[in-house]
Amino acid sequence: MREDGLEGGAGVRLMFDGHAIEAEAGASLLQAWTAAGLPLTENVGCMGQGVCGACRVLVRREGERLADTALACETPAEEGMQVSFLDHFPARRPHAYDLRALTDSWTALDQIDAVFPEAKNCRHCSGCDRACPKGIEVQRMVNLAAGGEAFAAAALFDHCVMCNLCVAACPEHIDPAHLGQFVRRMSAALTLRPGDLIARLREIERGGQPIDPEAPGANPPPGP
Amino acid sequence: MSAPAAAHGIPHAAALAAWRGRAPAPPRALALPAPELLERFHPDRRPGAMVPLRVGASAGLPCRAELAALLQSDALVEDEDIAGAPLLDADVLVIGGGGAGCVAALTAARAGARVLLATKLRLGDSNTVMAEGGIQAAMGPEDSLQRHFEDTLRAGHFAADKALVAALVSDGPGVIRWLIQEGMGFDLAEGSDRMGGNLLRRKPGGATAARLLSYRDFTGLEMMRALREAVLLAPGITLLERHPALELLTDDRGRCAGAVLHELARGRPVLARAGATVLATGGAGRLHVAGFPTSNHYGATADGLVLAYRLGAALREVDSFQYHPTGIAWPPRMAGQLVSEAARASGAALVNGLGERFVDELDTRDVVAAAILREIAEGRGVARDGQAGVFLDTPGLERAKPGILGRSLVTLTHLAHRAGLDAAAEPFLVRPTLHYQNGGIAIGPDGWSGVPGLLCAGEVTGGLHGRNRMMGNALLELVAFGRRAGAAAAADARAERPRNIGLTHLADWRRALIAQGLPLARKAPLVFPPYGNFDMAKDRGRAA
Repeated sequence: MREDGLEGGAGVRLMFDGHAIEAEAGASLLQAWTAAGLPLTENVGCMGQGVCGACRVLVRREGERLADTALACETPAEEGMQVSFLDHFPARRPHAYDLRALTDSWTALDQIDAVFPEAKNCRHCSGCDRACPKGIEVQRMVNLAAGGEAFAAAALFDHCVMCNLCVAACPEHIDPAHLGQFVRRMSAALTLRPGDLIARLREIERGGQPIDPEAPGANPPPGP
Repeated sequence: MSAPAAAHGIPHAAALAAWRGRAPAPPRALALPAPELLERFHPDRRPGAMVPLRVGASAGLPCRAELAALLQSDALVEDEDIAGAPLLDADVLVIGGGGAGCVAALTAARAGARVLLATKLRLGDSNTVMAEGGIQAAMGPEDSLQRHFEDTLRAGHFAADKALVAALVSDGPGVIRWLIQEGMGFDLAEGSDRMGGNLLRRKPGGATAARLLSYRDFTGLEMMRALREAVLLAPGITLLERHPALELLTDDRGRCAGAVLHELARGRPVLARAGATVLATGGAGRLHVAGFPTSNHYGATADGLVLAYRLGAALREVDSFQYHPTGIAWPPRMAGQLVSEAARASGAALVNGLGERFVDELDTRDVVAAAILREIAEGRGVARDGQAGVFLDTPGLERAKPGILGRSLVTLTHLAHRAGLDAAAEPFLVRPTLHYQNGGIAIGPDGWSGVPGLLCAGEVTGGLHGRNRMMGNALLELVAFGRRAGAAAAADARAERPRNIGLTHLADWRRALIAQGLPLARKAPLVFPPYGNFDMAKDRGRAA
């Protein structure tokens, strides 16, 4: 076996960014790309865990009319596939805020409205839902956030991997991925106040947690 | 692949029958004293694995041979390459867009510094985002900073720097508060309120108290999401994606003055000049040392170690790597991907081909990994399609704690699905995977390397973990030392303005290589692994 985890040998044929390549059955699209000798310097991150959202691709399967979006590291290569990388690009409109300045949770709805004014313009096209490779109900999150239901909206974005495909898909420039992070971050920063953490921080501030570098447990046990 | 994949063992079907017949297998202590087990079965102890470094600030230090070859190589750039290159100016240059780089950049920018953040791939593409298990901070009433301090030293076989470990554990609770302020969520104990309740705590391998805080089993993703948004929104940070660093710059006093970056989109060099430089380039898993597969992200190619060492920084424990006990062994296309320690921390057992347990699953990672390699080497492993491993008994865990796979081991369940198995019905086949670089660049408690103008944070540093890292100390380290390095860099940058920047350190370096009879033909950093089919030395000339 090789370091990329593939055994070599014949398998399925597909088109990838204009290259006709052959991939071992069971290989991911990303493995198929490198095994074909093509250079990989972008559109790659965690390389298989499916958590970084870097390897975005457009995939059309044989016999299908429409193309889907997917992550190349977790999509197996199939006979007759047509694939192209979707370069990462940032959102074009800034949705700027300073989380540390948002201290008044009574005005959470105003704050969502002020930072993401487009959220209430959702036209329910569900383009974001179709674009999401993780099956998140993106559109529902947008609608919940626009209605001020911050916790419910945040929970829906639990599995987001920041691929930004929903950002590319939204005709209203809502930037759902960033709206999702905004409600998640606001929920944590404004409402998470663990009692055990607060108690320990107070104790440390009062000098109640000294460290003794020469305590018996901080040195190797004496030899036999 | 080399030794660990040796496929003799008990055939999968027979092993499954043995596992079913004995389930649940009773706990069994290690049959061999830990020092002897490590000596005989840990990959770092194999003859020929280490060589002494022959040039540089740590000449004589034992070093993994694959890494030594890169450390003792020539630069990719010459003076003529950088003449006329575009010049960017900043107070602080941060190299690396993972957790440590983001935290350092945020901290420096908030202290008023103009920050350049350069990263090889995209912001957030890093080992941080892949971290699953959690982050340590001594929170419980029965726990203390002292216990966290002693546990970390003991797990690292007392090789760590006590001042660094004291700084690490003391920062712990403050780091959790800082992360919550940045918008990161944490799991709460069952029935706990968001205000005034308790954090969910579990016991990491090798610890004496439940100290591991988490966000489900994708703690690193939750952390990176918050950090990434914070960096994108922070005024004062200029982000340069697809800009790997090829060499550090020096001024006429030998101080680090920034870096030569390579703009991949155009194939040309860009000079980033800065009063202080923070290296946060992460680890080295993609060197595949000892032939192991890796759980690391694509960019983990030891670039930062190469750059800092060439500039005169000292290294430590570069002969010590962490092999995570539970990487995927089958299917081969997923080899090396991680099954989180959260599975064992929640109670999943390791079972050999005879259906027997063979080690305390929550012993330190080096011991558990060596114990698995021993089972395989002595023929008690499980063989399947030419791969060998042992079982991780997730069905047994689900039986003992119904619902746990779907509820709190989401990533694991997803992983099983991609491997084509049902984690509740069939055990994973696992074997150790290259996971972490225990050593690295020697630093002080504020993140300073010995080279003026150069700070380091995160996995690229050495001294915090000794010879074995505990689960949950890596995420803590990157925030604690990202903050320390970012603050120190911002404070120092204002006092310093680099003058006459260039590559003056290379003349001495090349003389030293020649004096030792080392070849100048090998160039580093690697930037991408060989199977990335990209030659940096060739690409350098593309725009010329």
